[in-house]
Amino acid sequence: MAETRTMTPKERILRLFAGEKVDRPPCFSGMGNATTEGLGKLGYKFAAIHSNAKMMADVAAATYKLSGFECGVVPFDLCVEAEALGCEINVYAHLDDILYPTIKKKIIHNEDEMGISIPQDFTKRGRIPLVKEAIGLVKADIGGEVAVGTYVLGPFTLAGQIMELNDLLKLSFKKPDKVGGLLDILADAIVLCAKEFEAAGADYITVREMGATSDVLSPRVFKNLILPYLKKIFGQLKTNTVLHICGKTNDIAPFMVESGATAISVDQKNDVAETRKKIGNALLFGNYDPYNVLVAGSQANVRQVIRKCMDDGVDAVWPGCDIWPTVPIENIKAMMDEVINYRR
Amino acid sequence: MVTAEKRQELLDRLKNAVIQYDEDGAKEASNEALDIGMDANDAIFNGLVSGMEEVGRLFEAQEYFVPELLMSADALYAGLDILKPHVKQLDLGVKGSVVIGTVEGDVHDIGKNIVKMMFDVAGFTVYDLGRDVPLDKFVEEQLRTDSDLVCLSAMMTTTMMGMKKVIDDLRTKNPNVKIMIGGAPVSSDIADKWGADGYAKDANNALKDAINMVSSLKKLKEEAEAKKKG
Repeated sequence: MAETRTMTPKERILRLFAGEKVDRPPCFSGMGNATTEGLGKLGYKFAAIHSNAKMMADVAAATYKLSGFECGVVPFDLCVEAEALGCEINVYAHLDDILYPTIKKKIIHNEDEMGISIPQDFTKRGRIPLVKEAIGLVKADIGGEVAVGTYVLGPFTLAGQIMELNDLLKLSFKKPDKVGGLLDILADAIVLCAKEFEAAGADYITVREMGATSDVLSPRVFKNLILPYLKKIFGQLKTNTVLHICGKTNDIAPFMVESGATAISVDQKNDVAETRKKIGNALLFGNYDPYNVLVAGSQANVRQVIRKCMDDGVDAVWPGCDIWPTVPIENIKAMMDEVINYRR
Repeated sequence: MVTAEKRQELLDRLKNAVIQYDEDGAKEASNEALDIGMDANDAIFNGLVSGMEEVGRLFEAQEYFVPELLMSADALYAGLDILKPHVKQLDLGVKGSVVIGTVEGDVHDIGKNIVKMMFDVAGFTVYDLGRDVPLDKFVEEQLRTDSDLVCLSAMMTTTMMGMKKVIDDLRTKNPNVKIMIGGAPVSSDIADKWGADGYAKDANNALKDAINMVSSLKKLKEEAEAKKKG
């Protein structure tokens, strides 16, 4: 059945963020959702879309145009801030396979190099201006109908991009003050970057702090070492914000809410019904498995999982991570149909 | 002279050094074990490895997290570096060599390094290709070294697809090689579907699997020893 409600997807999402009542949960994401189908229609190579604002924007908009998925999100990789801080990235231009860019050269090589400073022209460096431009282009293209989103990394995850994760993890145990000092600087850099995206008109910004998942760090370390800097970031952003952490998050969900983000986002490892009891009415987005369900699952499987998300009490149906590009468009459509028609 | 009492004291010290991620303690106890003529295998398996087994248990109970695991691994290596040159190699009837690496596009190698550590402990020859490894390289290295086992790791959904390619390629070129895949996004379904022989879901599972592998190797060693004596 087609949508008969009068609220546009964009209004619905903005009202939800504003704490107002909505007619149904929106179905969108704050993370990447490039599709090979979209890439194919546009004739773009995945490796090329990370460094061209128009291509980036076209691919983001194509997902909505092909499937009705209710947002446009740029960029698609996790290297934007690290690159602007001086890291070198690899976009795997030599390959036709879909590989996401990674950091080739880090800027901190040992403990003594952790006292970095943010470059004066930070927001003009790397691809920050390009992502900003892409946000504007997506807005001009589909921004009247759907919400336009973007993301930045959380300070701990960004630290793991600019130095060896191995060292970072051990130091967060052995020398938490030193790590805290770095996270403080990175929080400032993240705010500078996010403010640029805010100025470009992003309707919401997701802060991705997956490095601080309870699969890796104890809830105690999360509370003492990570949370203060997340608070610092959310305290300075004016637009709608989402804090996303994947993996185990049941024990830290209340801290995630305490961070000050407008909404929190969790993945399929979170017991949402349980989390709902802990966090009351705070906005909770999640939590279907974007690969095993949305890409590899049957349509019946997709529908069943989406119903469970809604039954468990998510405020928005939202994936646990980036959607893997080979996703069948029909599966996204089945998901949309389920969100629109379940329990009406 | 290694008295039963002294042996037990040193084994406890080695074990506790790993559990308490005490690199210096592991070095001291290892040197002392060699000084008094303790068998290096005994010190490794019943000291260091038992410590790591306990770390695995603490990790599973969520008392330890990845930082503690990494620091314990450092302590284990501190001891292993000293003890390993003194290990008497036994003929096990298996060659015991492994090619290991993180697939191209993935720069996360912590899980891979933990599995590698257990192979090191077990006395395997480890060909570590590192991280972000071009897919062809796994096949090349397996053929070059004629290794029994290839371990592929991917930490993200976005990179695990490369593993399927490597598995297909390895199977075509060498049907007998054993393949183990691991990493957060991997499931036993995926391992089955893609034709891998084993899988490790996360660092903890990888650790457990590797410990199991080491334990069965330990049994083989004991059997080989018993045969020699008998």
